[in-house]
Amino acid sequence: MNLLACSRRVSAGLLSLFLWASSAAQLSNDAAAVKDFQARISRYLALQKQQAVPNQSTSSPGKLAEQEQTRAEKTREARPAARQGDIFTPEIAAYFKKQIAVTMRGPDGAKVRASLRHAEPLPDIHLQVNRKYPSELPLQSTPPTLLMNLPRLPGELQYRVVGSTLVLYDVLSGLVVDLIPAAVPAQ
Amino acid sequence: MNRNMKIAFRFPALCVAAFALWLSPHFPVAAQTERKPATAMAASNGSPAAVPPSGRAGNAPASSLDIRIPLRDKSVRFAVIGDSGTGERSQYEVAQQMEAYWQATRFEFVLMLGDNIYGGHSPRDFARKFEQPYKELLDSGVKFYASLGNHDDPNTERLYKPFNMNGERYYAFRKGDVAFFALDSNYMDPSQLNWLDQNLKNSQGAWKICFFHHPLYNDGRHHGSDVDLRTQVLPLFQRYGVNAVFSGHEHVYQRIKPENNIYYFVLGNSGKLMTHDFGPPGERVKGFDSDQSFMLVEISGDKLYFQTISRSGETIDSGELERNSETHTH
Repeated sequence: MNLLACSRRVSAGLLSLFLWASSAAQLSNDAAAVKDFQARISRYLALQKQQAVPNQSTSSPGKLAEQEQTRAEKTREARPAARQGDIFTPEIAAYFKKQIAVTMRGPDGAKVRASLRHAEPLPDIHLQVNRKYPSELPLQSTPPTLLMNLPRLPGELQYRVVGSTLVLYDVLSGLVVDLIPAAVPAQ
Repeated sequence: MNRNMKIAFRFPALCVAAFALWLSPHFPVAAQTERKPATAMAASNGSPAAVPPSGRAGNAPASSLDIRIPLRDKSVRFAVIGDSGTGERSQYEVAQQMEAYWQATRFEFVLMLGDNIYGGHSPRDFARKFEQPYKELLDSGVKFYASLGNHDDPNTERLYKPFNMNGERYYAFRKGDVAFFALDSNYMDPSQLNWLDQNLKNSQGAWKICFFHHPLYNDGRHHGSDVDLRTQVLPLFQRYGVNAVFSGHEHVYQRIKPENNIYYFVLGNSGKLMTHDFGPPGERVKGFDSDQSFMLVEISGDKLYFQTISRSGETIDSGELERNSETHTH
């Protein structure tokens, strides 16, 4: 074996090792981001549960509106300094953006994009963390394949797409918990 | 009479007419003429069945209703509405047709295919867009089973008792031999897919019917088919033998070509309407985009009978479908 061939093999080996190491580091970063995200979600839910009694079924729309409003107010009061990035930290937001991009570019990307287009997409509207999602506006459906590729959420919370923004939505209070602007590529 | 005088005479009359027009959806009784006792021709035996007079006015034909479901003993009979909750006059007129047909067919419950309350969700909205239009049916004990659309508030509506969702976004219930599965197609997350898998697998219903907002197949130009949703739920429908699927979202009526022994209906025009919405025929066998409508469905043994009725009382589609077999339509 001549020196050139030997050197090529060593280079290829080193390159493989480097790629493997970066991929492992990326996986480790992703796992850390997901773990951190889940911990923040748990803290949010624990805080929410401390503040409000469970919503009850009733035939009175007035009572329904009242209990949602009470829950929203109490949750808001419990997070008076809440701001964008409290849950979607830069690291977590980067992970979400990557997952969404991978989904949109993947084999089901065309279906996901079509699903978003067909679901009465909303323009980018100004949403604020810890404020109510405007009740007169529709909540665009979230494509199932996208949901498969994002960390699972408990039933109290949902991911919603509003324009290009990914919104973390509190179903019980109607509050915007956090958001990632420019997370979803333009359709 | 000079021009100013003519305007002065006409102005109060115009005001009264405008007020009456505004009043009619809020107090629909005021806008209607008295309905006489009607006669229904029951398709099962061809003999006229007396229809009790309604205490409330309706705009159905006074002499007879065109009833094309057989009204068999012990059948499961229900109505279907989709995209209904506008609070506009057309919703009330469809509701009056439903009421007239309820008098004749005594359907037991109504499936709601989402967009049950458009716009705001204040108590006034619930009253104007649900409680008032369907008051007579609600007072008569007809149950409404709702699924959620993109215009619905997932929190308030699932907790609103008259929607019978028992606090859930998705749920199942059984009537006779028929198992119904109300799905939340706005948010088909892995938890709901697991729930659907388990519940379809364990269902003992001879018929399995799923209803939800976004259509898997759709010829309408405005929204089209939700292919991503279809990719996720269709394998389950096929694996566990779902027989029929009802969806809304597109503001028209469509009966879709059966696929793998599953019958699909799109009914998104019980309040909203999108006229001239159809392109060239693709998935649909029958389409209707020129008026609002609702459906009557009866399931008896291995047959599902359906009749789609427009706001003006015209039957725009009807037929009978056999469980896992061929379609026979009139």
